[in-house]
Amino acid sequence: MNPVDPALNAHAGWIVVKFGGTSVSTRPRWDTIRRIAADWRARGKRVLIVVSALSGITDKLKAIAESKGDAARRASVRDEIVARHEAMFAELGLVDRATLQYWLDRLAALAADPRAENGALPWQAEVLALGEQLSSTLGVAYLTAQGLATRWLDAREHLLAQALPNQTEWGRYLSASVPTAPDPAMAARLAALGDVFISQGFMARNAAGETAILGRGGSDTSAAYFGALLKAEKVEIWTDVAGMFSANPRIVPAARLLSRLDYEEAQEIATTGAKVLHPRCLNPVREAHVPLAVRDTNRPELPGTEIGATVGAAAPSVKAISERRGITLISMESIGMWQQVGFLADVFERFKRHGLSIDLISSAETNVTVSLDPSENLVTTDVLAALAADLAEVCRVKVIAPCAAITLVGRGMRSLLPRLAGVLAEFDMLRVHLVTQSSNNLNLTIVVDEAAADGLVPTLHAGLVKAEALRAEDPAVFGPAWSELYAAAQAPRATPWWRARRDELVALGSSGGPRYVYDLATVRERARALRAFAAPDRWFYALKANSHPAVLRAIADEGFGLECVSLPELERAGDIVGGERLLFTPNFAARDEYEAALARGAFVTLDNLHPLEHWGESFAGRDVILRVDLGVGRGHHDKVRTGGAGSKFGLDLSQVDTFRELARRHGARVTGLHAHLGSGILDAAHWREVYAQLAALAQRFSRIESINIGGGLGVPARHDEAPLDLAALDAALAEIKRAYPQFALWLEPGRYLVADAGVLLARVTQTKRKGDYRYVGLDAGMNALIRPALYEAWHDIANLSRLDDPADTLYQVVGPICESGDVLGTNRRLPECREGDVVVVAQAGAYGAVMASHYNLREPAQEIVW
Amino acid sequence: MSFDPRQSRHFRFVRADYADGQAQLVYAFDGGVELVERVIFPGAPAIAPARRAAFDAALKLLHLVAGVSYYKAGVPEAIVVDAGSLDDATADLLDELYFHGLGEFAYHNKLDLAGRIRFPRGASAPAPAAAIGLPPRSLVPVGGGKDSLVSVELLKTLHEDATAAWVGLSPLIAACVERTGLPGLNVERRLAPELFEYNKLGAWNGHIPVTAINSAILALAAVLYGYDAVVFSNERSASSATLEYAGQAVNHQWSKGWEFERRFAAYLRSHVAADLAYCSLLRPLSELAVTKLFARQTRYDDVFSSCNRNFKILGPKPADRWCGQCPKCHFVFLALAPFVTKPRLLAIFGRNLLDDETQTAGFDALMEFREHKPFECVGEGRESRAAMHALSLRAEWREDAIVARFVDEVLPQLDAGEIDLASQLAPSDEHGIAPRLAGVVDAYR
Repeated sequence: MNPVDPALNAHAGWIVVKFGGTSVSTRPRWDTIRRIAADWRARGKRVLIVVSALSGITDKLKAIAESKGDAARRASVRDEIVARHEAMFAELGLVDRATLQYWLDRLAALAADPRAENGALPWQAEVLALGEQLSSTLGVAYLTAQGLATRWLDAREHLLAQALPNQTEWGRYLSASVPTAPDPAMAARLAALGDVFISQGFMARNAAGETAILGRGGSDTSAAYFGALLKAEKVEIWTDVAGMFSANPRIVPAARLLSRLDYEEAQEIATTGAKVLHPRCLNPVREAHVPLAVRDTNRPELPGTEIGATVGAAAPSVKAISERRGITLISMESIGMWQQVGFLADVFERFKRHGLSIDLISSAETNVTVSLDPSENLVTTDVLAALAADLAEVCRVKVIAPCAAITLVGRGMRSLLPRLAGVLAEFDMLRVHLVTQSSNNLNLTIVVDEAAADGLVPTLHAGLVKAEALRAEDPAVFGPAWSELYAAAQAPRATPWWRARRDELVALGSSGGPRYVYDLATVRERARALRAFAAPDRWFYALKANSHPAVLRAIADEGFGLECVSLPELERAGDIVGGERLLFTPNFAARDEYEAALARGAFVTLDNLHPLEHWGESFAGRDVILRVDLGVGRGHHDKVRTGGAGSKFGLDLSQVDTFRELARRHGARVTGLHAHLGSGILDAAHWREVYAQLAALAQRFSRIESINIGGGLGVPARHDEAPLDLAALDAALAEIKRAYPQFALWLEPGRYLVADAGVLLARVTQTKRKGDYRYVGLDAGMNALIRPALYEAWHDIANLSRLDDPADTLYQVVGPICESGDVLGTNRRLPECREGDVVVVAQAGAYGAVMASHYNLREPAQEIVW
Repeated sequence: MSFDPRQSRHFRFVRADYADGQAQLVYAFDGGVELVERVIFPGAPAIAPARRAAFDAALKLLHLVAGVSYYKAGVPEAIVVDAGSLDDATADLLDELYFHGLGEFAYHNKLDLAGRIRFPRGASAPAPAAAIGLPPRSLVPVGGGKDSLVSVELLKTLHEDATAAWVGLSPLIAACVERTGLPGLNVERRLAPELFEYNKLGAWNGHIPVTAINSAILALAAVLYGYDAVVFSNERSASSATLEYAGQAVNHQWSKGWEFERRFAAYLRSHVAADLAYCSLLRPLSELAVTKLFARQTRYDDVFSSCNRNFKILGPKPADRWCGQCPKCHFVFLALAPFVTKPRLLAIFGRNLLDDETQTAGFDALMEFREHKPFECVGEGRESRAAMHALSLRAEWREDAIVARFVDEVLPQLDAGEIDLASQLAPSDEHGIAPRLAGVVDAYR
């Protein structure tokens, strides 16, 4: 039992804490509520606890409310509700059940009420309110029994709903609103009664004294209403996630916790997609200047999201990106005169007539296009058809759907436009129907076809962080990534091998020029991890990533074949494995290269009609594999995407039948299908999709034996990127294999096997200060490692000579090449660097040495194998 | 393996046997390896002695019907049944089935089957089959598309004791069966592996009358488990020809047509069991009438698919069930459009096929406008024209690319009588619905 705290004085501040259904459904959760409330009380605050109904109870009450004539259904659902609360009563170890019985009797009386027959709205409101009355009744008994003296408040005595103009009767009873302003008299009245109170979310009374329900998000809204009435010091919404995030963490695990938002931004984020907070609950606290916080009940140590008045000095930043699906656009083309007076009024009047509320608007001289949010109403009733018919009286109307609205939110959006250039390039080749920029300068919304929106938000989020349009490193606004907070339970990222062998590397790097160092143990470990997969029938290593003979031999020893894209590659690979383990997949190669590959007995992949059209006889009696372009590119940068009409790779799907005919004519057998959509893909579901498409295509051929779904297994670079989930990939491939056992499954990873195994060692040549910028120059630049310049690739960079010093200086890490693009890393936190320090550029085992050049006549880095 | 079935002279029905829920159907080309197909009936009960004769007759029929998958790999000159010749009725049924059921196959492979398919005949007709006391309940094959789900819902209105049956592994069908709420029966069929080898080596390949094979499998299942009706969901338009080739009407879906239904039902009554009914519940209806019935309930919106692409891997998105490119996708989209709200239809498909110019040729083919009807189970051209016309009258559809083009280019060439929707919805009288289920005609309304 808690020691009794000294009584609070009449002016002690108020804290409102709200707990949802899952937070009130078990005894340990009630202990958490007690702890949180007692903690505030111990800090000298009065506490009002607002609770939802037990999980699932509101749905059951809704079933009763909507049961109409079905008395048997009402009775059986009532029994379930009673049983659930009896069980909770027992779990909480309560003794006096008189009050609980009172509410259960109310339930019985309401279920038997004659008004049930026609579902009268006042009756429905009373039924729906029971869930919170029951949960708060259990709560007050438990908290008091546990030593926290708590008083029960009937929310309906304090929250008075007001009917809105044009509000339907349904809305007045089941989606009511309560105007609130600080009421010091009420706060004083309550203060005289005690220190800790519990009340019900979701309900109010109307002017006639009847029960009214607040509708969706109702409990959060109740807390906000109480917070405003009491002029609380804070309203805390306790839920099962740490707060609002910069994107939906379910699709963007790298989404950042938003530590601090102003009311308007929070409202915008809640309105455009975030589910954690209902947008309705922000207005009452904003008007009363009461701060609101979102906190995680399971992780009370996390600060959560604080929402308050505008943060003055912070630099503009995109705060969040969201998507809303199921958007319908209505495009209206004026058919009257130019500058027709009243056109917009005519149009909008018709939306009002049909009770449809417009979200986005974009207008031109003769056109106005608006969006409608998804609603049950649009799907199940003819309202859209009726609206379109009415609109057709005054304009040409076109309904464009289904669309997805992608919204960037952040105060001062217009000043962020220059930073968005690269991010907006993601919309290349998508059909953009509408772009709007909100007049309050809080959002930028782009509407595209819903089918095109898959995977867009994670890509855009990463792009925003990379472009520093979303200033993820600003601790005043952003907290940790969701994956760090919640996925940290997964195995921590292994320490890279080069940290363990730091002394050897420093010794090596201290003299001579830059060097690539490859750790073969890491190569073998990666190869074995993939070979452990059950489903794939053959693995080929794409040797263009790293063609060092020792690396090739190590990989071949693990059972991999070798995938080559040129004759010299084929010759090198041919020294290591036999023809039956060679796969030749060139692009725009000359005829003699194909003939040489066939002569070696390699599998040969074609990705164009040209070879069969012009050199068909070379393929007579041969097996060939067809590489197709499935039309969508994936990957971490434009230049590594290999799908889509803008890509030079793969046969267009519309030419597949021609290809088949040509092959038949020349007696070539098409025995395999291949597609490769890009690199750096971290989502296991992607290959499943590629495979399903290729397997469908295989139905148009009769002799397909293998399906090669390419590579592109991602290697995470930044600490906030989740690594490729090998178990998920293995499971996805196994599912594929079960569905299509008749095809051999081939994969051809490249970078995945070697990227982490290699580092580039370089020495510091000079340092420089220029304005606010600090530069550190290395003796290796884009001539040694071109990925940062070519793909804007991010490589971890560390000063091996000072690995244990605090990384407190922000550097631009550059090379010695006379090109302004000769940058290896921007804005890197490193210890203060000195001339001669040995620096490591990590993940340089793939596309490092193989792409090196003699530019500026500088020798590229030597390669050393460990 | 270098065996080429196209070089063989005989196709042999070697034997069929059954034990422990597994039927083995054995075939061979000339004296080559035995091709063994297995059909597996889960939880099969013992065969009651009173049903033994019916079971054997149904097994023999299945052996003969399922042989079409193998026969077509070589299409040799002669057909041999090792167990002995057939009576005229059996031989007639199979001659017809193989000839018409392989019509599209012959067209694509440029083969002439006329006079080639002759099952050995000469045995005397058996005594008419007896009634074997099958209980009054229905086996309803579910295919994952709209039609069988309409049948399921119609049977529910009749309070029929029904089981949803499907052949083969399909996550899509399994998901639909689960959504019906009916008990399910999943029969597994394992083709002889040599058939894939033959195909790789260049055997004849193409469309086979798979509905006939499934019909024979479910007839055997009905006798085995005890159902007095096998209730398919083929509609009126399944009977119409796709095109003419070599003087013959070629129908992609001949075994879904009325002619096959009538003959197969009669054969089951005379040769298998007098109390076993085989019928299609939707036979009186046009495709449009079926889609109209489908539109009545939304419970299957997020699970069903009529797309002909073989979705063996199911995902949650509409594009994981509807390819959006094939004639089935085009037709179901168009046929549902007049009867559901536009947002609902777009939610089902995940995109708007009628606002995509690249699909123009596909919709033209459905309307038989400058193209022949696709080799797919799709409605008649006039149904597509009527549906398109209905949409052209609706403001929320009228400006979509393909509807607008219909108004500009196709509609002026059509007679008024060709575009009336209401006349396509009336049920016709030609059907073989089992008397016990005759009340379904009222449920159409």
